[in-house]
Amino acid sequence: MSVPVSLRVGPMASTVLAKKRYLLFYIFLIWISFLPVLLEFWIYWRVFTEISPTYFYIFLPFLIFTQYVTMVLTSLIFSKMCLELVKRIHEPQEGIFLRDVSDKDYRYWSLRNIIKRWPVWLAHKFPFPFLDNLCFKMFGVKTTFSNSLFEGWVDTEFIEFGENVVVGQAAIIQSAMILGDFFILKKTFIKDNVRLGVHSIVMPGTHIEKNCVLAAKSVTTVDQELEENWIYVGVPAKKYKKNHFFEDDLEKVIGNQQRVDARKLREKYEEIYLKQKHRDAGIIERMRIKQEKKEREEKRLEKSAKKQREKQKKRETEQ
Amino acid sequence: METEENQNQEEILEEYKLDFTTSSAISKMNLKFLVLYLLIFWISAFPVMWFAHGWFRAKPLISEDTSPWIATLLFFPWAIFCMIYIFFLSCTLISKLFLIIINLIHRPKEGVFRAEEGNKDYEFWRLRIELKKLVLWIARNLPLPQADALALRLFGIKMDFSSHMFDAWIDPEFIEMGRKVMVGQGAVVMSSMVVGKYLIIKKVFFDDYVVVGGQSHVAPGTFIGKDTVLGAVSSTNYNQLLEPGYIYFGIPAIQLKENKYAEERRDIIVKKDVDKGTKYVVKHDVNIDEDKKHLVQKADEEISKEKS
Repeated sequence: MSVPVSLRVGPMASTVLAKKRYLLFYIFLIWISFLPVLLEFWIYWRVFTEISPTYFYIFLPFLIFTQYVTMVLTSLIFSKMCLELVKRIHEPQEGIFLRDVSDKDYRYWSLRNIIKRWPVWLAHKFPFPFLDNLCFKMFGVKTTFSNSLFEGWVDTEFIEFGENVVVGQAAIIQSAMILGDFFILKKTFIKDNVRLGVHSIVMPGTHIEKNCVLAAKSVTTVDQELEENWIYVGVPAKKYKKNHFFEDDLEKVIGNQQRVDARKLREKYEEIYLKQKHRDAGIIERMRIKQEKKEREEKRLEKSAKKQREKQKKRETEQ
Repeated sequence: METEENQNQEEILEEYKLDFTTSSAISKMNLKFLVLYLLIFWISAFPVMWFAHGWFRAKPLISEDTSPWIATLLFFPWAIFCMIYIFFLSCTLISKLFLIIINLIHRPKEGVFRAEEGNKDYEFWRLRIELKKLVLWIARNLPLPQADALALRLFGIKMDFSSHMFDAWIDPEFIEMGRKVMVGQGAVVMSSMVVGKYLIIKKVFFDDYVVVGGQSHVAPGTFIGKDTVLGAVSSTNYNQLLEPGYIYFGIPAIQLKENKYAEERRDIIVKKDVDKGTKYVVKHDVNIDEDKKHLVQKADEEISKEKS
């Protein structure tokens, strides 16, 4: 259905670095995308005022429709040209970069997003999803036209979709992320027949294999791999059960289901995350487990401290 | 041996249980629907064009034989407002007409169907949703929430204008609402979802005075009782029953506590005996904070004044 105001999280290109001189791109794209619209109206006016004013009014809706589409298409073509130019100067690449103006990758990433913003915004404001998919295809997201990505928020680069993928309402798919002082850019793969639930979030670098389901309100971590034919649930997403719903003749099994007991389900969820055996153990057993955990933590900290010290030594020797 | 077999069967059933939610976004886009969109768009623009034509003919901008051009310009914003809502109304009526024809060909019904091309229920479900898309998009982008309610009422949601779901995503069929239902911002109410090969359509009920918090989602088949609150960022499951008069919270939603806040508006109950024409006022024990009790006392005094 149509996306309400509160759920409309697009335009899809998020930027953090906003510079005044980037406005030039906006102005150029907006100006150039209005030119063919005016030309179309001029031709229409010349043709139909000579014939009859009633025809002018009858075919005016078609004119408005085509004007909007041509506006999106022209802005798409020109922004693509700008993008190619920017790509010639600096090739986009995956990796972890500094989130700072001095970092070239971060700067060019935000510049690319600025260029994409106007056509993507225009396409997303259109009630029908076709222009949206066209935008993604032009900007280098690998999709097919049958995928429905319209209801969610999808990044415009470094994403690969398979066939028959459905992105749920208000779901977010990212290929870029900002974490403190770092800026992470990683390719996300989503393969065939994947369904992403309502309000779910896919982080950069996630691989989602075929026939997977990411249930509603669950979140994947960076670089997580979701195995084939599984249903994943929770924050962060964990294996819940096998996806049997691609088998035949399940209509009666699903249709005859009783009401789900929410309390039992909650316990099941907690079991996945907390591990039941620790809760059932006695006081002494639990104390021992705690002690072990503490020791493990200390060892880990020592190791990381050692590594840091070695790194510092290396730096000093290099200097 | 029998118990073991039963246990095995239960485990198998557990595997096939729908205790997770996906989404009800349409599973396949199709370019052939563009013809439908264009047809609705074109026909519903006729009244608007007629209005615009009349507007400029009655008060022409250039010629000076009728009213002055300043009047045309002064009332032009009002004319635009009229045109937008005329377009919305004609759009709803035309898509409703199409919907009636489609429903006559194939009646929409609840159940579990195969989500494949060739299945009649699945194809008509997609067609219905595509048909409603343009109208709901316009309604969502207009400032008046009444437009939303009107469109949803015409498309098969049982609700009245006292309910509010302007800021939520909502499936436009198989939903029943009582009076004064509130659905919060960013909430998602679904009466259908696709899991694997199957499309599941089941009715969602909201009883009177239900409040659904922001960013939460309601799965198909949910029944929410009277005066119940579903908290923010929580979720219900397929076929879940939320009992009346409770606050539910979490993923999946479980009973948190009784909903005492609902009682506040029923503090004083007025009964009328129709035959004798007398009026009884019954005071109810209310759970109101100590510092706000004087407000209730004031109301009591006013009632006693009226009596005397």
